[in-house]
Amino acid sequence: MIKLINLTKMYRGLRAVDNINLKVREGIIFGFLGPNGAGKTTTIKMMAGVLKPTAGHIIINGMDMAKEPSEVKACTGFIPDRPFIYEKLTGSEFLHFMAGLYRLDHPPDLINRITELLELFELIHWADELIESYSHGMKQRLIMCAALLHQPKVLIVDEPMVGLDPKGARLVKDIFREEAARGTTIFMSTHSLEVAQEVCEEIAIIQAGQIIATGSAADLQKKSGVDGNLEKIFLKLTEGKKLAHARPLSST
Amino acid sequence: MGVVGLAFWALMFLLSTRVLIYFQSVEVIGDLLAHHLLAMVFLTFFSLLVFSHIITALSDLYLSKDLEICHASPADLEEVFLSRSIYTLADSSWMVIVFGLPILMAYAYIYRPGPAFYVDLLHMGLAGIVIAAGIGILFTMVLVSLFPAQRTKDLIMLLSIFAIVALYLMFRFLRPERLVDPDSFFSVTQYVSALKAPDSPYLPTYWITEMLWYSLSNGKGESRLFYALLMWSTASAVVVMNLWVARAVYFSGFSKAQEAKRRRGGRKVLDLFAHLLRRPMGDDLASVMEKEIRTFFRDNTQWSQLLLLGALVAVYLYNFSVLPLDMSPIRLDFLQNQIAFLNMGLAGFVLSAVSVRFIFPAVSSEGGAFWLLQSSPLSVRRYLWGKYAFYLVPMVFLGEVLIIATNCLLNVTPFMMILSAITMFVAVFGIVAMGVGLGALYPRFEYQNIAQVATGFGGLMYMIFSALFMGVIIVLEAGPVYIIFMTDVKGTAITPMEWLFIVPSFLMVLAISAFAVYKPMKVGLKALSQYE
Repeated sequence: MIKLINLTKMYRGLRAVDNINLKVREGIIFGFLGPNGAGKTTTIKMMAGVLKPTAGHIIINGMDMAKEPSEVKACTGFIPDRPFIYEKLTGSEFLHFMAGLYRLDHPPDLINRITELLELFELIHWADELIESYSHGMKQRLIMCAALLHQPKVLIVDEPMVGLDPKGARLVKDIFREEAARGTTIFMSTHSLEVAQEVCEEIAIIQAGQIIATGSAADLQKKSGVDGNLEKIFLKLTEGKKLAHARPLSST
Repeated sequence: MGVVGLAFWALMFLLSTRVLIYFQSVEVIGDLLAHHLLAMVFLTFFSLLVFSHIITALSDLYLSKDLEICHASPADLEEVFLSRSIYTLADSSWMVIVFGLPILMAYAYIYRPGPAFYVDLLHMGLAGIVIAAGIGILFTMVLVSLFPAQRTKDLIMLLSIFAIVALYLMFRFLRPERLVDPDSFFSVTQYVSALKAPDSPYLPTYWITEMLWYSLSNGKGESRLFYALLMWSTASAVVVMNLWVARAVYFSGFSKAQEAKRRRGGRKVLDLFAHLLRRPMGDDLASVMEKEIRTFFRDNTQWSQLLLLGALVAVYLYNFSVLPLDMSPIRLDFLQNQIAFLNMGLAGFVLSAVSVRFIFPAVSSEGGAFWLLQSSPLSVRRYLWGKYAFYLVPMVFLGEVLIIATNCLLNVTPFMMILSAITMFVAVFGIVAMGVGLGALYPRFEYQNIAQVATGFGGLMYMIFSALFMGVIIVLEAGPVYIIFMTDVKGTAITPMEWLFIVPSFLMVLAISAFAVYKPMKVGLKALSQYE
């Protein structure tokens, strides 16, 4: 469902993402792990069409992002790590705005879908409040509603649990599992190994812009030669290597 | 920017010097006028300082993001309050000081006072600023304890817009141009005597004025020490009072400002607007524009600017209704058409000013939420041209209203009416495209206040290009219009040679307008597509 081919992003001479190659099967939750500054968000933003790759290809649902950006974006949903949205709209207006942006059919199906999502993410009682009065976690959940509104084939998620309370985090994990069971492919970046261990069927570890390991938890266990949880495997695989880019992007 | 500032400073100094020289030439009341002008200057600056402190204190003491760290630190509440107040004082006063200095230096240049004047100016000025800051901050603390800080911000913004509109209209409708008419001089003398009224001896500005006038008039005033003591004791009292009030209400106000507010969004009227957009623009673009309209009308700092725009248009039209054309020695029809012609440039400039405030920030107004558009199927091309189409309609309407209304007031010839209306129609396409295009070339998504977007480098570039564009159009049309008008006056026909000049000139206007649409949109489109 997702193919990253020789994907590279350079920032003024620095390779933030360095020749990544990845394949993600349909209908799974794929974990994209790595320490802070490893290149996770840059990769995710390129996949969402927010950043332009310096080289390489992003193929989603058989379409090349560079050649058919609108078509690719129409079948993907993106949830960024920071919930910047239009604060002067109400939750319900924001979802109608997103529906318009994705050219979804209008009433009555759309209204039912919006109500269903707002109920699912426990925002229904806030639907007519301006977003400026929402908490961080509520905004994050509203963005998730928006990303699922058009029933995307691929969901690209950057650090989904940031700002969510334990109940919210549990809710989101359950929803992701249900979506994957329905056939949605979820590409999820996280630095939380517990989250990855709990929900991801396959994992890739990125470090200093390069993929250092891919596969299921069992595959990674074999590769690292370590028995135990993902934390031990992660520490073993990244042992002795630089964790992130040696210098900040601003120094280039 | 430094050069512009210096030029402005020099201009203020020269103007003030000229006024003072003129006052000195007026027998008997010359010094009285200068004295009253000084009192007016201090009163105006003092009021500005108080107002500026009210607004700045609100953000520096209640809304600033770094305040959380200050309040979480072991520093005393008084320490936090005092340090933020001093910061507010510096933040709000520097501009008033900079703009006030050339006027006071003009007084020093004309009256040649001793060094005591400068010493007095320094310490009395400082005390005056402390008093103004104290009053402003005190007012803000009371306001915030009555309303939540976020609402207070809206309230102050609204009040300030109303105050500016009222002042602007009042000044304009006072018709200062009548002062040049010697027949009305008697009323000016009455005005001078009336100047004494607002100058109360209980006001700090009165104490500063009297003290400085003492130095300027070489000792012909009341006791300096008395005024200095009055000033400094008041300043100290204001500081102490502020500390008392801060101890009582500052922290509770700050805490209230952090609380989330629940606000329901009003719908009915905006829904109607939004519905009208859907058919011609398509679902995706209509959604963006609908969002834009809702955001605009829900943000008090945005829609209230429409009041300013209304005042600007009203005064613009009013100016044309009071033009004393019949008193001019030039032929009336010639003058009317000449003014109508120049009016195209002026109206273009008004449209540019409106555009830099409302259209130039149109892309930046997406703010941090721009990623939503980037990751959506809506292409940047469609988005940018959609914005263009959205703003074009009201701008064409505004441009045509300005031109046709002023031409009606001037009673111009049908030829000039048609030419102005067509020229303005064509020019608006370029003005709007430059606004949208340059706004996309210089986006500022991380703004605190949308009004700041227009004041940056991009806004300046836009104003320069827009003025150049209108200038070129006026220059290109000036020759042909003169020929056509003169042949009409003389009752002769236009020669083939003249046609050879007229037709290419008008074609050039069309070509330049097309270029002004194409190039900025292309540049903006490219920049926005590559934005990271």
